[in-house]
Amino acid sequence: MLTIVCTFLMVGVYAGGYQVGLHGQKQIGMGLVGTSLCFDASSMFYNPGGLSFMKPTYSFALGMSPIISSTAFRKSFPADYSAKTDNPLGTPFYFYGAAKINDKLSAGLAINTPYGNSLSWGKDWGGRYLIQDLSLKAIFFQPTVSYKINEWLGIGAGFVLATGSFDLSKALPVSGANGEGSVNLNGSTTEFGFNVGALIKPMDKMNVGIDFRSNINMEVSGADATFVTPLSLSGNFPANNKVSTTLPLPANLDVGVSYDVSEKLMVAMSLNYVFWSVYDSLIFDFETNTPALPDSRNPRSYKNKLIVRVGGEYIINDKFTARAGGYYDPSPVNADYFSPETPSLNNLGLTLGLSYKPIEKLSVDLSFLYITGMEADKQYLPDNFSGTYKSQVYIPGFGLTYNF
Amino acid sequence: MKLMKSRYIAYFLLLLVAVSCEPKLDDFKPSAGSADFSKYISLGNSLTAGYADGALYLTSQTYSYPNMIAQQMKLAGGGEFKQPLMFDELGFGGKRILKLNPALDCSGNPVAGAPPSLGPVLAEGTPDARNFTSIAADGPYNNLGVPGAKSFHLLAPNYGLLNPYFGRFATNPQTTSVLAQAMEMNATFFSLWIGNNDVLSYALAGGAAEEITSQDLFSGAYASLLDGLTANGAKGMVASIPNVTSVPYFTTVPYNGLVLTEQTQVDLLNQAYGNNVYGISFKIGQNPWVVADPSSPNGIGMRQLKSNELVLLSIPQDSLRCRGWGSQKPIPGYFILDESEIASITIAVDNYNQTIKSLAETKGLAFADANLFMKNAKSGLVYDGMRFSTSFVTGGVFSLDGIHLSPRGNAIIANFFIDAINEKYNANVPHVNISDYPGIIFP
Repeated sequence: MLTIVCTFLMVGVYAGGYQVGLHGQKQIGMGLVGTSLCFDASSMFYNPGGLSFMKPTYSFALGMSPIISSTAFRKSFPADYSAKTDNPLGTPFYFYGAAKINDKLSAGLAINTPYGNSLSWGKDWGGRYLIQDLSLKAIFFQPTVSYKINEWLGIGAGFVLATGSFDLSKALPVSGANGEGSVNLNGSTTEFGFNVGALIKPMDKMNVGIDFRSNINMEVSGADATFVTPLSLSGNFPANNKVSTTLPLPANLDVGVSYDVSEKLMVAMSLNYVFWSVYDSLIFDFETNTPALPDSRNPRSYKNKLIVRVGGEYIINDKFTARAGGYYDPSPVNADYFSPETPSLNNLGLTLGLSYKPIEKLSVDLSFLYITGMEADKQYLPDNFSGTYKSQVYIPGFGLTYNF
Repeated sequence: MKLMKSRYIAYFLLLLVAVSCEPKLDDFKPSAGSADFSKYISLGNSLTAGYADGALYLTSQTYSYPNMIAQQMKLAGGGEFKQPLMFDELGFGGKRILKLNPALDCSGNPVAGAPPSLGPVLAEGTPDARNFTSIAADGPYNNLGVPGAKSFHLLAPNYGLLNPYFGRFATNPQTTSVLAQAMEMNATFFSLWIGNNDVLSYALAGGAAEEITSQDLFSGAYASLLDGLTANGAKGMVASIPNVTSVPYFTTVPYNGLVLTEQTQVDLLNQAYGNNVYGISFKIGQNPWVVADPSSPNGIGMRQLKSNELVLLSIPQDSLRCRGWGSQKPIPGYFILDESEIASITIAVDNYNQTIKSLAETKGLAFADANLFMKNAKSGLVYDGMRFSTSFVTGGVFSLDGIHLSPRGNAIIANFFIDAINEKYNANVPHVNISDYPGIIFP
């Protein structure tokens, strides 16, 4: 239910629509709808309230979803310049293990990567003074408990320990005999948050879910800020500086409903509200400031956004289940503060999924997600960098679920 | 069962393959509109020739704005663009490079522990002798920019004898004017950016030598130039003249650069100048320089500089620092542009620019208001994350001589001119990428 974003959207430190929603192959298969579903241990992420409705006593799920993404950029006319990202493969993964302690109480641990990816525009591209490469990695550890109050209501909560790191490079517009200057910032941090949810079964064939995941401010202090500049400017750009910065991982409020149309067909939808407006600006506070290197405050002005998702599941036979879905994820990025560091466009996602059960306890889950980032003219005003962006993302996913 | 399984998985894989292509955006489509760029020539002065860092040299010529524009025109039907290139990086000499210079005291001895200072110094080496020989036989040359040329110089039939920059590529230095040589080219498109030196030569002499070209001479010369250049029906672009007082050569040394830190200095100076009877006084902090002015109303032939007056970059810094210039001794007038000189320059530039604009309209030519552009540039320019200002060295627009453009400065002005051409002729000549060109090279 997080926004799916892709490589390009990535992550990061600087990134904007930088959520990644790849946390269960079954949910991915049906448009990333998950709030009202309780397939297995993956409920711990999507809605801890659903975990207590889990049927098996023990449930384990693991999987990964390699992100193959590319963003194209063309400078505003009459410039005759275009570029494409050469992003390394993103590799979000998840692992869930949960057990029923008794009829009412379930508990488990979720490990996943709601944020994290890699963006690479290259060393020499036309926007290199804004960004060259960016990598953000975040791993969430979420111990979770869930309690079934009665036959129609379950609640749950998880404590989130988030570890994250970032690595960012860009060129500096100062030249020496050895070429252009550059700066690399990298650091890591650990922060905390929570995830609470409730699952309601108002009638036999219907599930309603609500889930809230808290904002987590990833505060990095004392990160390395390494400057490479000509000797005569080294006083202005101390080579081994330190920097502090904060990247908010925004809160999410998800509401979903699912309905069993027949024995074989289930349909579901969810609304995911992402509190992006916490990302107002990205501030780099350098330990050593000079007249040429003041602290930098970069406006972002993100806006809260609502993602609409729909999906369905059809049980073909006792071995095969097919899924399909789609969603619309509007860009939270302010059109005037749209930086190539997080080229997050209005995204349309289409998904397919297939599960195969070779034996009763084991399910092999496949998913495929195609995202098109719709072509749009954007600019980053403070740097006077404008052009047209478009992106495409393919995410084949593979997972295993073992229930007993 | 097995068959079924492989069938579903095959469908799935097929789908994967079907969609694997990359995002694609439409390319820019260059076009010449109603213009014809097949033979482009450029006329002008040092700015057009590609002069930079105090010299005209091989690399600076390749970064001339006309060469940049010509390369872009090639994408819209333009042809070859030949420049009268020097043979090395020194040209006729005088080129400056940026260097870290050790701090010296007033006796010329190094100061222990003081940080070195960054500043332009003369490049070492001996210019290639071929720079001084005629290369006219290898012509014709499309870039007819001649450093030092004033408007009416382009009409002078013997200008090749007077100006070695033209002499080296003039087809006949004794008899050929720049205009005549241009007309022989029978170009389809031209650019003309001339007039800067009609005031700059005066300004560079601190108003003490040379003369501002009279408005009549300028407008007559300009009209003749356009008549000649459009005689074959060629289209073209002309540009207004930036007010020379906006360039770092005139704006780098502050009018009140005399910094006094000790009261005893202040008292001694005040005493020496009769304790303010002549309107000359000093305080702790920044003080206006004392300058020579024979017409100073106080009758002593000197006064303090006003805030709207300018000190030239050519002023010897060690004289200011070590020989009491501007404090114990007045700065000679030829290092100063005073109020009335600046007014004369401004009036001349405004009049020239009106002439250029109205003649451009009459002839139906593209007009680029470079004067307005430079005015706006004073408050800073930002392109693709690069920040430019009109500051000396660090501003990035001007080269190390404080008057002529850096490669990136040329790229900025080339794009500005391309905009004017595109607008007038409904053309689609693409911009250059400013970041493709080098900035100021720091040691």
